[in-house]
Amino acid sequence: MASSDLMVGLEIGTSKICVVVGEGRPDGTIKILGVGQAPSRGVRKGEIVDFETAMKCVHEAVVDAETKSDVMIRSVYVGVAGAHIQSFNNRGSVSLPEDRDEIDEQDIEDVKTNAREVSIPSQNAFLHSIIQHYHVDGQDGVLNPVGMLGERLEADFHIIHGVRTRIQNTIRCVKELPLDVEDVVFTALAAAQVVLTPHQKSLGALVIDIGGGTTDYILYVDGAVKQSGVLGVGGDHITNDISMGLRIPMTRAEKLKVEEGAVTLGNCLPGETVQLKDDSGFAGKEIERETLNTIIHLRLRETFELLKRKLEEEPFINYIGEGIFITGGCSHLKGIDHLAEEVFELPARVAHAQTMSGLTSAFENPQFSAAIGLIKYAQAVQVDRRPTGGIRRIFGKIFSGMR
Amino acid sequence: MIQLSRNYSLPEREEEIIPIKVIGIGGAGSNALDRMVLDGLDKGDLIAANTDVQSLASSVAASKVQLGRGVTRGLGTGGDPQLGLDAATEAGDELRTACGEARLIFLCTGLGGGTGSGAAPVVAELARETGALVITFATMPFAFEGKRRAAQAQEALLELQKISSAVICFENDLMGDIVAPKAGIHQAFAAADVTISQSVRSIISLIQRPGLIRIGFDDLLAALRNSNSRCLFGYGESDSDNRPHDALTQALKNPLMDRGRMLSDATSVLVQVAGGPGMTLSEVEILMQELNRHISDDTQILFGTVVDGRMGNRLSVTIISSLAADGAVVSKPVFERPSAAPVPSPQAGPETKRSPAPELESQPAVEADTAPEAEPSPSPDEPGKFVPEAESAEPPPLVRPLQMIEATLNQPELADETPSEETDSIGDIAEVPEPAAMPQIVEQVREPEPQQPRVILPRKKTTPLKEPKPAENSVAKQEVLQFESVTRGRFEKSEPTIVEGQDLDVPTFLRKNVRVK
Repeated sequence: MASSDLMVGLEIGTSKICVVVGEGRPDGTIKILGVGQAPSRGVRKGEIVDFETAMKCVHEAVVDAETKSDVMIRSVYVGVAGAHIQSFNNRGSVSLPEDRDEIDEQDIEDVKTNAREVSIPSQNAFLHSIIQHYHVDGQDGVLNPVGMLGERLEADFHIIHGVRTRIQNTIRCVKELPLDVEDVVFTALAAAQVVLTPHQKSLGALVIDIGGGTTDYILYVDGAVKQSGVLGVGGDHITNDISMGLRIPMTRAEKLKVEEGAVTLGNCLPGETVQLKDDSGFAGKEIERETLNTIIHLRLRETFELLKRKLEEEPFINYIGEGIFITGGCSHLKGIDHLAEEVFELPARVAHAQTMSGLTSAFENPQFSAAIGLIKYAQAVQVDRRPTGGIRRIFGKIFSGMR
Repeated sequence: MIQLSRNYSLPEREEEIIPIKVIGIGGAGSNALDRMVLDGLDKGDLIAANTDVQSLASSVAASKVQLGRGVTRGLGTGGDPQLGLDAATEAGDELRTACGEARLIFLCTGLGGGTGSGAAPVVAELARETGALVITFATMPFAFEGKRRAAQAQEALLELQKISSAVICFENDLMGDIVAPKAGIHQAFAAADVTISQSVRSIISLIQRPGLIRIGFDDLLAALRNSNSRCLFGYGESDSDNRPHDALTQALKNPLMDRGRMLSDATSVLVQVAGGPGMTLSEVEILMQELNRHISDDTQILFGTVVDGRMGNRLSVTIISSLAADGAVVSKPVFERPSAAPVPSPQAGPETKRSPAPELESQPAVEADTAPEAEPSPSPDEPGKFVPEAESAEPPPLVRPLQMIEATLNQPELADETPSEETDSIGDIAEVPEPAAMPQIVEQVREPEPQQPRVILPRKKTTPLKEPKPAENSVAKQEVLQFESVTRGRFEKSEPTIVEGQDLDVPTFLRKNVRVK
């Protein structure tokens, strides 16, 4: 096995740190060799707040993955999230020199550079610029203009950027272990790689990755990323709401959410209660199921509504043909898909990584979507050096000033 | 449950409707009137007064007064204030009749030209003579209109400030900020009209709407107390899901508000929140919390809230305040305090208020003219206290420290505002040491600059006590404190997630006021 085919995705989440080791097959599929994970501490809302502690947790997770997959991890693809990540669409354009009318690779690079010549806040750095479509002399929807004849090349890019120092914190946390950081990837983008098929991307789909600390979203229309972003609300908030609403400790609230929580209202018998057992097994507090569900429902409904309003700032949400895919730890909550359907008025389903082989049973879990997606992304980037026809639209990364 | 009960709305008290007139003087004035008509001002009589017959004829105001039939013979003044003054004097009787029985008169005028600068002070004078309270909205010319106009405007403004109860001054230059650079010049002018119209309408409804926590004339005057000052005014309205935030943002966007930055320097800020029966206390809380970020802790907030069925789904917020210009000639306070005193009575009998106001009016004007310095004014207030050290202090260099200390000075005053039972209980918990220490500093410092309006605050403060629901106010404040301290739970120490003006770390059910137990 050539080492270059070994790919490791590391997601530093708010509730858990997850390391997925995968191996690229010659036929383009990926085999998962092992998954390591460790509960996360020192991370809030997707961002590292306690460097030392977070580093220890990452180390634990990496060691766990090494043991399980029996490989030595040297370099990783790191997922980043956090409410500081923003995105926008921008068009770049270049004119070909007089004496040449065939578009070449260099022009593609130039147009990308051109598209990035927009002002983002000075403390921010580019994370991704993802090609949507090319236009050659006004001809729309060109997928690969290399070799085409034209005088003017334009390209629409979706640009994702975030606060430089916060991204660097994540990188440093990994580098101190020490591991090499191959690349930094926005988690929603990674998750979408495995949750959506190319077909679904072209029909138009929205991926919502509700993790512990953040809700990341990415919207595809016509196979291209049109909108993406992060909302600093996640499962932790639900737990916190439960803990405060029912006046129980956080740990208990978390357990209650995972074991009993549901999103749907009016589904319980009147007066139906959940017995809250304390650690020693004694019957503790009785909690009305409807109350618990109401708290969860209100939080998630609000989150979806906020998301919807954010998405409605641009017209793309109207072009979703396939529907909404909910993934991430919180998608385990019963009825979350119905709520999303109700709020967005679009078909919604809970989704997990699709296109993997290997230890499937372990990974058909929405919690790992992003981490597995990192591997898929890694593979795509490697394959993309020799483009395989429009499927993967990620043409490398803009990484200036970050490494 | 904190939600305000829906049937709580006070019965509308018809007899409280105060006769109001709005007089537009000159071209700018009638433009402003036209705008008010467009915006649907229905509560006041609009009177256009102009020298230019053509412009007067095109005005949509209900009654019209031609100024200077003999002096200008239906033409404009050609930018000569003297001509404007003569014209207005000539039409004195007509104007007096036009003012009629109104108890509150708004003057709208654009300063700098002949009619506006010349006639407005005369009209203001006449209006005062009828016993009404006069609030003047003056638009200052654009800088590019030339220094001469600016000087004329400035002179007229000073004049108006002496005469009117309050002057709200709009600078056209600032209006430019809210108009896109590419927009035509008429839009910039229109922006001023819109703002004036908004202000007039909101002040009228502010005074006339019976509130849960009512805002009266006295409060308005308190907020505008600093004459020769920069007036901060903001009005916002929204019916969105996040209406408190949206309304406030809109209010702060007002060009006179400078995005709320100036608010931090204001001594007192008048805030009125109005909404339909569905307005919740928590919405008011959110709004006030947010507003508090723009206001220093020591600022006195004159808070009022109104439930008005006609508001429907909308929630509106009106913010009025003023900043003293450095070295301002402060004539108002002397007048204001007495005018505030009769205010409790108007609810019972409006007439009482009328007589004291005008006669006191003349006093400050004289005083302001002759002696802006420290010495003379102490006497009207509390002679025994202020006189001794008055001469020792030289106002100008002291101004800064004074303001700072005065800021702290407001603290005990604020406590005064709340009902005394309330004060006691609060005092027990936290504020005991402070009041003990504070008064001493306060007294020393007060003396040098007694003409500063703030000194009068304690007296004024008695009036809010008469408001129907003072308890509501304090209850709301305590609630805020509780919310702040408990609700973020696990995210207490993390960076707050603020989206659309809401702190998402606070449980949704708390923010939406849903009962979960």
